[in-house]
Amino acid sequence: MTTSSRTQSLIATLPGTYYTSPEVFAREQEHIFETSWFCAVRSADLAAPGAFRTVTVGRESVLVARGRDQGVRAFLNVCRHRGARLCTEESGTVRRAFQCPYHAWTYNLQGELIAAPNLTSMADVDRRDYGLGRVQVREWLGYVWVNLAERPGSFEEEVMAAVTARLGDGEAIARYDLAGLETGKRISYDVRANWKLIVENFMECYHCATIHPELTEVLPEFADGFAAQFYVGHGAAFAKEAEGFTVDGSAGLERIPTVAAEQDRRYYAITVRPQVFVNLVPDHVIFHRMYPLAPDRTLVECEWLYLPEVVAQGRDLTRSVELFDRVNRQDFDACERCQPAMSSRGYAGGGVLVPSEHHLAEFHDWVRGRIGE
Amino acid sequence: MIPVCRLADLPRGEAFRLDTKPPVVVFHTEDGEFYAIDDTCTHQDASLAEGWLEGCAVECPLHASKFDLRTGQADVPPARLPVRTHQVVIEGETIHLVLSDAVPNLPFAAGRGPVAGGAT
Ligand code: FES
Ligand code: FES
Ligand SMILES: [Fe+2]
Repeated sequence: MTTSSRTQSLIATLPGTYYTSPEVFAREQEHIFETSWFCAVRSADLAAPGAFRTVTVGRESVLVARGRDQGVRAFLNVCRHRGARLCTEESGTVRRAFQCPYHAWTYNLQGELIAAPNLTSMADVDRRDYGLGRVQVREWLGYVWVNLAERPGSFEEEVMAAVTARLGDGEAIARYDLAGLETGKRISYDVRANWKLIVENFMECYHCATIHPELTEVLPEFADGFAAQFYVGHGAAFAKEAEGFTVDGSAGLERIPTVAAEQDRRYYAITVRPQVFVNLVPDHVIFHRMYPLAPDRTLVECEWLYLPEVVAQGRDLTRSVELFDRVNRQDFDACERCQPAMSSRGYAGGGVLVPSEHHLAEFHDWVRGRIGE
Repeated sequence: MIPVCRLADLPRGEAFRLDTKPPVVVFHTEDGEFYAIDDTCTHQDASLAEGWLEGCAVECPLHASKFDLRTGQADVPPARLPVRTHQVVIEGETIHLVLSDAVPNLPFAAGRGPVAGGAT
């Protein structure tokens, strides 16, 4: 089944069941989230050796930890003995090893089985065969990305190329120095909506004039309904009256010094499928990660990243953060308004996309292709 | 006196486990000292060779009791009984051991092979 045209102007969305069916969700977990590069953890949240986080990726719990050699590794969070969940905390620091709370099988930060009761009495057991399941890892933009596939696709082609395709230039993202910025604010949103509603919302701006009054004040061209993501390499210009990207148009913080002149006073937005959205403005970066938990529930973790000195000096970030926090709440409210209707018979055949939303059809085709239709 | 290994085979900070009955472990501390103790923790069957060497003590990898390499005493529970200490003799380039003839404090299941049944 491919996206069919209703008219020249209006083309079909996915049918409602794609947003509610546990069976579709299970296929998405298996064929999208467990086989894509998934942005799991901010690297700085794993600062010291032994620091760990557990994250849900598809149907799996993944343990991400920093080793003594400063390298970051990721493992399936499953004890090789009889399957107990190894780490139940969301985050923490172990002194030197992960120990299963059931029978005390003990794994080092490299995931190797280093000790277990009676292990040395079982001469026929090679402990190297019982290390934790390894998950592929990459660090980029100050984040740890994991991939659960047995043969992961190329990070360069899947993640880096998506960023380049949107910004039109491989160097553009580097000028924001994401790895060198620090988290000034983090907000988690528990959204009662299917993850695809959130992606679709982020990709279009047809709704901007209606639900984002503050954003369209700062970015007047958004009132026309064409999202920055509709174009390649296009940054939406700040309004003449706006001094900065803030809720009231007041001045922002210090500009990231490596940001180029043509990037100044502009807003760029990027989607990296399946779960990352990035917004770039001259003085900060807003980085969203989605964790789909159920067909109708998605956790969105959002960081506002600033220059380290801005965070260290305890500068007032309120007006800066409030702009996109409001945008997020407005967007997620809209998504939550759609979710209950997805199972209505009135939406069984889906809805339509207007021309400024036509690029969403490509996302729908991608989802269909991945889950095998 | 039994030969263990060559000096060059046991760098500082490392352990060498000997498959004697019961097994014995020789540690070369960061300060350059050599010590030998029973390899099996007195609490449960864990190999202290896999533990963490800290100064003159080794911490059991399973439940964190720490044994003094000079005396064999455990610092905190759950291990209560000491491990035996053995004498290390260096001759030329080779490390040797003189095994203690005291009775070892082995945990219940260690070295007894498979036990049928059993309950928590
Ligand atoms: S299940 Fe983990 S040690 Fe038994
Ligand atoms: S096995 Fe050594 S303290 Fe428990
Ligand atoms: Fe929006």
